[in-house]
Formats: sequence, C-alpha cells, structure tokens
Amino acid sequence: MTTTVCGRCKSSGAVTDHQGRQDGAVVWTILRCPTCNFSWRDSEPARAIDPAARSADFAVDAGDLQRYPKILQQ
Amino acid sequence: MNDLPNRARSISSLRDFLELLEDSGQAITWSDPVMPEPGVRNIAVAASRDANGAPAIVFDNITGYPGKRLAVGVHGSWDNIALLLGRPKGTTIRELFFEIAGRWGDQEAQISVVPEAQAPVHECRIEQDINLYDVLPVYRINEYDGGFYIGKASVASRDPLDPDNFGKQNVGIYRLQIQGPDSFTLMTIPSHDMGRQIMAAEREGVPLKIAVMLGNHPGLAVFAATPIGYEESEYSYASAMMGAPMRLTKSGNGIDILADSEIVIEAELQLGERELEGPFGEFPGSYSGVRKAPIFKVTAVSHRRDPIFENIYIGRGWTEHDTLIGLHTSAPIYAQLRESFPEVTAVNALYQHGLTGIISVKNRMAGFAKTVALRALSTPHGVMYLKNLIMVDADVDPFDLNQVMWALSTRTRADDIIVLPNMPAVPIDPSAVIPGKGHRLIIDATSYLPPDPVGEAHLVTPPTGDEIDALSKRIREMQLGALS
Ligand SMILES: [Zn+2]
Repeated sequence: MTTTVCGRCKSSGAVTDHQGRQDGAVVWTILRCPTCNFSWRDSEPARAIDPAARSADFAVDAGDLQRYPKILQQ
Repeated sequence: MNDLPNRARSISSLRDFLELLEDSGQAITWSDPVMPEPGVRNIAVAASRDANGAPAIVFDNITGYPGKRLAVGVHGSWDNIALLLGRPKGTTIRELFFEIAGRWGDQEAQISVVPEAQAPVHECRIEQDINLYDVLPVYRINEYDGGFYIGKASVASRDPLDPDNFGKQNVGIYRLQIQGPDSFTLMTIPSHDMGRQIMAAEREGVPLKIAVMLGNHPGLAVFAATPIGYEESEYSYASAMMGAPMRLTKSGNGIDILADSEIVIEAELQLGERELEGPFGEFPGSYSGVRKAPIFKVTAVSHRRDPIFENIYIGRGWTEHDTLIGLHTSAPIYAQLRESFPEVTAVNALYQHGLTGIISVKNRMAGFAKTVALRALSTPHGVMYLKNLIMVDADVDPFDLNQVMWALSTRTRADDIIVLPNMPAVPIDPSAVIPGKGHRLIIDATSYLPPDPVGEAHLVTPPTGDEIDALSKRIREMQLGALS
C-alpha cells in the first residue's frame, strides 16, 4: 500500500510523479513530498523511505525549513 | 585490436566506446532482472572494487523500466581509461599519467558542425508533456540521497550577458536532482562557471538557458570535468587532448552540444527561485547537506533512438569518480609545477580529487621538496584541494603506494612536517571544523641532503626501469594465459 506520508519530514500530501510498469501492471510508484522535496520509490527498502526505519540523521524538520541555507546569494 | 590509438581516435560517441570496451572484454550487459534500488547500486559498487579492471555495465532489464538502458562504470577502471587513450589493458597508472601529461599543446582542436536535422541526438524530440521519468531509468545512487540524481551530466550554457560569444560557452559537470517530472535543481558554487552565470542572470534579470548532455563522447567527461584555466571552449580542449574530432550541433534552445550524445535536456533557469536540494553522497565519501539550490524548468528533450542513460556511482571510494577525474586532476598540477621546478618528476592527486597528493621531486638541496610543496598549494587546484601533501624523491613512484609507504617509513622524521593552519579549503571536506577553511599538511618523505648531517643510507638497489616493467607485465600475461 502506497503511503503519501514523507519518510524524511513526515509531512503528508506527497504527489505521484511516475509509475513503473512491467507487462502492463504497475510495479512501483515514484512520489515526491512538496514540503521537503524528498522523492522516493515505494519499492525501496524501508530504511530509506519508512519514517520509522530511517536514520534520524537524515530527517528534515518541516517546521524549520529556514535553517537550510540558500546557495548563490547576491 | 592492433591499432588501439586509431580506434580510440575514431570514437565519436558513447556507443562507439561501449563497442570498443565490449570487444576488449571491458563492458558487460546485465540482463537479469534488477530492482532500481538497491540492485543497481549494489552491482555498481561491486564492480568498482576492481579499480584496475572493472568493466562498464549496461543494464537492459531494470524492473519497471522495460526497454530502457542504463550504463554505469564507463570510466570505472584504469583499463577503460587506457582504452580511451588508445593504450592496451594493463597499462600502468604511471604510464597513463604520462600519456595525458604528454598531450598538452600536441594537437589542434578539430571541431565539425552537424546540421540539426542530421544529428543523431535529435532523432527523437519531446516538447509536450515532458516527464523525465519517462526518459531516464533513474535510481537512488546512495541510500540517503534526497532524491533521484543525474550524476554524470555535462551541462552546456552560454554566458547570459554575452550569449552570442562562442568562446564564452561553458561545459561543466554538475549534479542534478530531479524535482518533479519537468524540473531539476543544479548544485554549484559561486566560483564555478555555472555559479557565476546563474548569479549574473539573476542580477541582470536575463534568461539563462542550458543544455544537459547525457551519454556523451567519453573524452568530454575526462577532459572537461576539471577546470584547468584553459581559455578555449571545453569542446576544443577535449578534441585536442583526444587528438580526435568533436561533432557539434545546436540544441533546440540554441546551445552548442555534441551531435552524438544519447540524450539532451533543454532547460531554463527559474530566476531567483530556490528549492531544497540534497543530501547527496559526494566524492569524499560523505553526504552533502540540504541546501536551497537554483531550479531549472525543462523546455524540451532530444534523444537518440533507444537511448542509453549514462550515470555514475559516486560515494566512499574507490569509485568511478576517482578513475574519471584522477589523472586529469594530477596532470595539470604536474605541468604547472614544472614551469617553476623542472625537478618535479610526477604528481599523484588521485585520492578524493586531490585532498591527498603525492609528488616526486629530484631534491636540489636540503628542504627543497618543501619549497615545491608550497608552490603546489598555489596552483589553481592546489588552492582549494591539496590538503595533505606527501613529498617523495624521484626514485619513488608516487603511483605505487608500496613505494610511498617505504619512503614514509625510512625517510621521514616526525618533525619533518609542516602544518599550515587556517588555509582556504574546499567546503565539501568532511573533516573541516568550519567548511571552507582548514589546515594543510606537508610531509617531507624525501632523503637527507647536505647540510643535513644524517645523509642518505646505503640503499639496496634492486633492478628497475623499462626492462623490469616489461618483465613484470610478461609474468602477468603468462599467468593469465595459464589460467585461460
Ligand atoms: Zn518531506
């Protein structure tokens, strides 16, 4: 079952960007989180996409997106 | 196969090179079903363990991408680099280094122009309902990357303030993160050409159009990836270094591109917009941070029929990134040093894009190697990258780490080092306390000369030179022959 909850920032509302098919059947779906821009395929190992299994080191704080620096400032 | 130099010069595309690699046992096709994650990564990493002999791998049965092809490891071993340079498999890294170092100023650029209607790259054209995921069999390169990355893109652009000037065109390799079906972010820094162009376009409010070339002439990535202070276009430089013609055509948005590339993505900068990008597993073997990076909107895609998406595994070394850029990182430092100090005999900056370098030098006087090391730090690449320098005598091959360790063991005193604190440093160095600033280390592992009272020990002198090199190759060939 494809979840629309982001594995990285735990926001909901991910959008579907693409579905891979094999012999006509959908075999995976690529989703994207509009909050933190994390993209994933729902067939990936849990430790990459499941918020419960992912390393906290790679979490993004959806409530504090200001902290991430902007490159190429004038 | 007896005419490897001519065959190398006749390469005009990724397909030509894959054919040459396949004929030489240096490319394989992976036709077993493989999941994009973690299958592609696992196979790419397993292959890159063999830095000398790894083959390129062409996947043609990735689950969910029927009919699509992906190539990794095209530049993933010294044998593949040797074949690109017209040399046989088994050519030593030292020989490849001198092959590249010897090509400077040797050849004229040969640029030919192919009309767009005849350029293979434009065989198929997408201008409506663009979805990059329909074209590219992407996969997560490292498991905590922030998305699906295009890691081996050569990005061509014109100067936004002088768009009609051919000489001001730029080709560079930048990492791209796909941000939805028709968008991607591009990571750069202000000192790179693309960074300068983005800032100029945003300051003046003028458009910046780019063409992202994928699956290119294999010489372009080797010779256009590393900035070398060369005034001419990267195409001209790559052509001169390959001693071979480069066929150019125009992208739909008016940029000079390689006519025989597999795929070209045309895109336009969204002025002033930034989107979250990263992390990405980078060449020092650690992840970059998450930052807000410039975003581009795709305006069209051209590709050859049945295109091959070429990508790279990059991360904790050894990886294809090291064989791709290592020699062409080392050779310019060598050339620049020799302008001041002809005593320099070789430069090995293969490790993490030169974060560690080994330089061999004929010591003119006591302490001379340290003077050469300081000069190395002021070369264009040295300013930011050469963090640790090991100086060895000319009787030590800097590409043979067993010899380098011998020099460290027998010719270094613990106080024969210099630490230069708080120097500029490449921000990506994971050891930095403050990214962009760090200490430099010079280890003098050269022998002692007067007025030093110690003097050189009485060395054992085993036979060396061409004869011994040839014998060791022959022994290896006899061994391989016995196995087959
Ligand atoms: Zn998210």
